[in-house]
Amino acid sequence: MFRKVLIANRGEIALRVLNACRELGIRTVAVYSEADRNSLHVRFADEAICIGPPRLAESYLNVPAVISAAEIADVDAIHPGYGLLSENASFAEVCRASNIKFIGPPPEVTRLMGEKEKARQAMKKAKVPILPGSDGVIATAADAGKCAKAVGYPVILKATAGGGGRGMRIVRAANELPNLFHAASSEAANAFGNGELYLEKFIEQPRHIEFQVLADEHGNVATLFERECSIQRRHQKLVEEAPSLQMTPRLREELGRTLCRCLADIGYQNAGTVEFLMDEDKQLYFIEMNTRIQVEHPVTEAITGVDLVKAQLRIAAGERLDAILPAKLEIRGHAIECRINAEHPTKFTPSAGKITAFNVPGGNGVRVDTAQYAESVVPPYYDSLIAKLIVYGVDRAEAIAKMERALSQFVVQGIETSISMHQAILADPAFRAGDFDTKFMERLLAKEAEG
Amino acid sequence: MNPLNPENTDDLQQLIDFLKENQVAEFELDRGELRVRLKFDRPQASAAGLPELASLLAGARTAPAQPATAAAADSPLAEEPAADPNAGLHIVKSPIVGTFYGSPSPGASAFVSVGDRVEKGQVICIVEAMKLMNEIESDAAGEIVKCFVSNGQPIEFGQPLFSVRLG
Repeated sequence: MFRKVLIANRGEIALRVLNACRELGIRTVAVYSEADRNSLHVRFADEAICIGPPRLAESYLNVPAVISAAEIADVDAIHPGYGLLSENASFAEVCRASNIKFIGPPPEVTRLMGEKEKARQAMKKAKVPILPGSDGVIATAADAGKCAKAVGYPVILKATAGGGGRGMRIVRAANELPNLFHAASSEAANAFGNGELYLEKFIEQPRHIEFQVLADEHGNVATLFERECSIQRRHQKLVEEAPSLQMTPRLREELGRTLCRCLADIGYQNAGTVEFLMDEDKQLYFIEMNTRIQVEHPVTEAITGVDLVKAQLRIAAGERLDAILPAKLEIRGHAIECRINAEHPTKFTPSAGKITAFNVPGGNGVRVDTAQYAESVVPPYYDSLIAKLIVYGVDRAEAIAKMERALSQFVVQGIETSISMHQAILADPAFRAGDFDTKFMERLLAKEAEG
Repeated sequence: MNPLNPENTDDLQQLIDFLKENQVAEFELDRGELRVRLKFDRPQASAAGLPELASLLAGARTAPAQPATAAAADSPLAEEPAADPNAGLHIVKSPIVGTFYGSPSPGASAFVSVGDRVEKGQVICIVEAMKLMNEIESDAAGEIVKCFVSNGQPIEFGQPLFSVRLG
């Protein structure tokens, strides 16, 4: 097992990784920007090194600063968390060259999955269902038009180097295509330095379902079932749950087996999540893979009893999956997570500042992952996630009851939070009935605006 | 232990100076026979709460490679307060993370010594990061008063390297 690990992240995930390291007897090194000097993960780490001013580019995304810190602290490995450098293949390569173990897949695999169109082709080859669409990148608007006609409108143009909703355009009619093609391509070139696009069938009311996978460094792959993440606003997830009400045991097993085979073939290692869209006919289509631990990993931990971050550390240290996972993985109960953000509950404008009162709910089956505390300051430089509230119940009804109770006891004063919006989601009849898709938030916000 | 003996009073004075300098609004300590409660009248206090205080105290230790004591709140009197003699001096801080070297190569004489005059832009030390030797330039002109770090010491971003009397 590693002697010392550097945590190349901040906020709640840095604390999450720190906790897993502590429990495994690993010494922890925190790196932080000047804005995070009083962070919890800095407070609790064995060693802490300031690596730059508040701006991400000069601190957490500053590869030389992070590597230099890793060298002076003499660490064995780096855990990149999620976001930031976690899917940066170049960073993983620098780690490898510096003789520091990167806790994640090999850089070549990260690079493959990072190019969305290549990932699609790799999945297609492995017989993982993908959305009908272009065969690779499309060169011109004219080619796009031909492909769209074959696939059938509506279609979506997506940037191959993209993510987070940028470089994407939905095209509902042939005459709109040329303009939207050029718009998407320029946006992609500006945002990612690569304007190449591919095309996919667009599903109007999809559900977002993703599969958690773990792979060791000996060729073994396992899936830890799915999560349902359809409650989103502008491609940002707000509520996640496990398992998905839409999955059947057969579908789960079949897709699980296909995924394990595919990922073993491409040499996947460590944790990852494979994302799918499900259409109205319950057909699943691969959209992309995230080669890291995800924000919503706790709901999977709740229903399987497997600590995913510890699994990452143990896999990277060379342990085999059969030593890490139980002999028979089973789904027990139901878990829901709310991402509590520091933002206005209806306007969604970010709310930075000092938290003057902070009461975190507790109790049976209630977990809160947060790096905030009373008198802590939420800086304006980073994303707005301040806490994850996760509940676990014997079934979905109990999980909902616990979440409502816990949300009502989660007190945060001094800044705005999304807590009241989460309460509205939990109270909504469609949510409670499990009757929703990725358009749910649009409808809910429209209802709230009227009412 | 007699809480009022001269040793403890000196420690207490150092503690009070430290708290004042860091603009702490209130401080409370309970150690067996000794209980201290201090409240400062500061109109624009940053109102550091106990958690922030604990990290301020932990941060008063200079070298980052030393463990930040989790028990800082238990033994604040044992901590060295931040040096006051820097008042009025310009501090040259490290712009990068790495290892400090005072001279261009092992055995060579140091770039600068205490008492030397330096110009703005003059190379005053090297910070090695990822096998690259980065020359660090002084961002002020004046006389070197103190060097805070030693050869081969790991340093973080913003770490004080030298103090300079401007002029």
